[in-house]
Parts: sequence; C-alpha cells; structure tokens
Amino acid sequence: MAATTHKMFLVACLVFLPIFASADTCLGPSVSAETYTTSEVTVSTETVFIAQFTLTCKNGLQNVNLYAEVAGRMIPAVKTSKPNEYQISITDEYKALRSGTYEAKFYDEESFSALKKAKRNNEDSNSVTPLFSINISHSGLWQGSYIQSEFVAACVAILVWWLAFSAKSKLSP
Amino acid sequence: MRLIVAAVILTLASLSAGQQEDPEARLLISKNVLNNFLVEGKDLTVEYKIFNVGGGPALDVHLKDSSFPAADFDVVRGNLDVTWERIGPGANVTHAVILQPTKYGYFNFTSAEVSYHSKEDKKEQRFGYTSAPGEGGIVNRKEFDRRFSPHVLDWLVFAVMTLPSLGIPCLLWYSSSRRFAVPPKKHN
Repeated sequence: MAATTHKMFLVACLVFLPIFASADTCLGPSVSAETYTTSEVTVSTETVFIAQFTLTCKNGLQNVNLYAEVAGRMIPAVKTSKPNEYQISITDEYKALRSGTYEAKFYDEESFSALKKAKRNNEDSNSVTPLFSINISHSGLWQGSYIQSEFVAACVAILVWWLAFSAKSKLSP
Repeated sequence: MRLIVAAVILTLASLSAGQQEDPEARLLISKNVLNNFLVEGKDLTVEYKIFNVGGGPALDVHLKDSSFPAADFDVVRGNLDVTWERIGPGANVTHAVILQPTKYGYFNFTSAEVSYHSKEDKKEQRFGYTSAPGEGGIVNRKEFDRRFSPHVLDWLVFAVMTLPSLGIPCLLWYSSSRRFAVPPKKHN
C-alpha cells in the first residue's frame, strides 16, 4: 500500500514538475528603473554605474534570480530589502567606461545559462533574447574647468588697460 | 582620502585548515570610500567588493551596512541591505551605493555586516564583517566651494563693481573727444 502511494506521488510530481518549472519565467516584465553614473572626478576615483529597478511580472512571479550583461561584463543582480527591487553596480577605471549609452541586458537563470553557452561556443549571443533591458547613459566626467577664472579675469584687465592706453597715446602725439 | 581608501581586507570565517575534503566558501569583503574629497551635500561613493576564495559557492550572501545613520547621510542611489543568491568559487562581485553627507565634520566609516551559507546544505550560517575604511573628514560645502569652485559669479560681481570707475571717465572722454577732436592737418 505504501509503495503505491509513493508511486502515485512520484507520478504526480512528474506531471506537475513541468508546470512549476514553466512558472519560473517572468511573463510580460515591466520595469521602472533609476540609474546613476559618476559625473565628477572629485566624487569618485573610479567610474561607477548603478541601475536600480523594480520588476513586475504579469504572472505575478516574485524573487526572480536575475543576471545582467553590460559593457561586456556578466554580473548577478542583487536583491534589495524591498520586494521585487534589484540593483546592479559596475565600477571601473575612468578610461574603461567612457561617456555614452550602455545597454544593460537582463536575463533570468535559464536564458543566462543559454547566453553563457552561446559565448562558450563562440556563437552569436544576440540569438538569446534578454528578458528586458535598461539604458544607462553616462554623460562623462567633469574634471574641472580647463582655464582658471583668474586667468580670464587677468586677460580682460590687460585688454581694458591696453585699449585705454592706446586711446591716450593717440591724444598727445 | 587615502586613509579612507586604504582597505584592510579582513578574513571572514574563522578558517580551520583541516576541513579540506568538503569544499567550503570563504569570503573576503572590502569596503572602500572612493571619493577624492568628502564634501557635505555632494555624492559619496561607497564600494563593496566580495571575493570568494573558497572551494565552494557561497549561498544567500547578505550584506547589510548600518553604519550610515539616516540623520547624517541621505541615500542617493543604491541599497545598503542587499542579497546575492549565490557567489561561485573564485568569483567576485561588486556593489556600490551613493550617499550624500548632510553634515560636515569627522565621521568614522566602520564595517558592514555579512552573513552567508558556506555549504550547499545551508545548515551553518557564517557571519563576518567587511574592512573598515576608517575615519574621514567631511568638508563644509562653503569651504569646499571657496577653495575649488571657479568663482565665475564672484568675478562677474567684481567686473560690475569696477564698471563705474572705468566706464564714467571713458564716456566723458569719448563725448568730449567727439566734440573737440581736431582733424589731422593736411600737409601739402
């Protein structure tokens, strides 16, 4: 009797497993994202990109494990203390992350392993469609003004003096 | 700021050398403040780096930094309480948070707390701390601007203030020279 219940349970598991497995994909993801990039040299010795977003799935899936591919890096997204909120952070030298728009593509567990496999086999990684993507636009770093304002002020003062002096020298030949 | 950037990486997990047969995760975590200057009301970049130097994956890695009191810092972007599902052996991850100090003065940047499961069975939870960047001086915003801002507005005010003493004689001379200017004599 016990053996049959076990078998029944096993069959039930086998039948329901694909249903549970398919529920792991986030359907119709909608994302509200906020990004940050380092804007000034004084603020950081490295360029930092942060993308913070809330993911809502139409099928109500929560607590998804997400991975991101951005600027050639593959990183896991961290889960924050708020429900369905995630974050990715990238830090690198100023030169490595120049100004421009970077597309952060997000993958779930399944598509991320497909992406890794495609990269391993040197296949086209674009064949793996990401779940969603977020654009991170980095407007570059402000390194301070090139010309000091004191220099400009001195130039203007010299110019005014020169105009006055030349006008005066014309008066008395 | 070098003082703050100087990171002393602390070894988490009291490592026992004898347990080699079972692969176990070992995490080294650094916390750095990346700023050249710490200025009141300007962005402060905090970076956490986690290295898994062990043989197994670290699971449910939870990083919590409660060393920034809400009265002294505003969070601009990022989170101070985050979880990684898994950090594989030999892998490293980076996390960054942007804050803004609301007060100036000296602040002691202490370490954040980390907890994780070092084995797949998730039986034992390990706790540890990140490195502490140490004490750093947060500069008054006015003081910083006095030293480093381009002072464009100040120079414009100076120009406007000098304008009467230069402009009035110039106008007087211009009007009189137009009235009384003698055309140069022609030598025949």
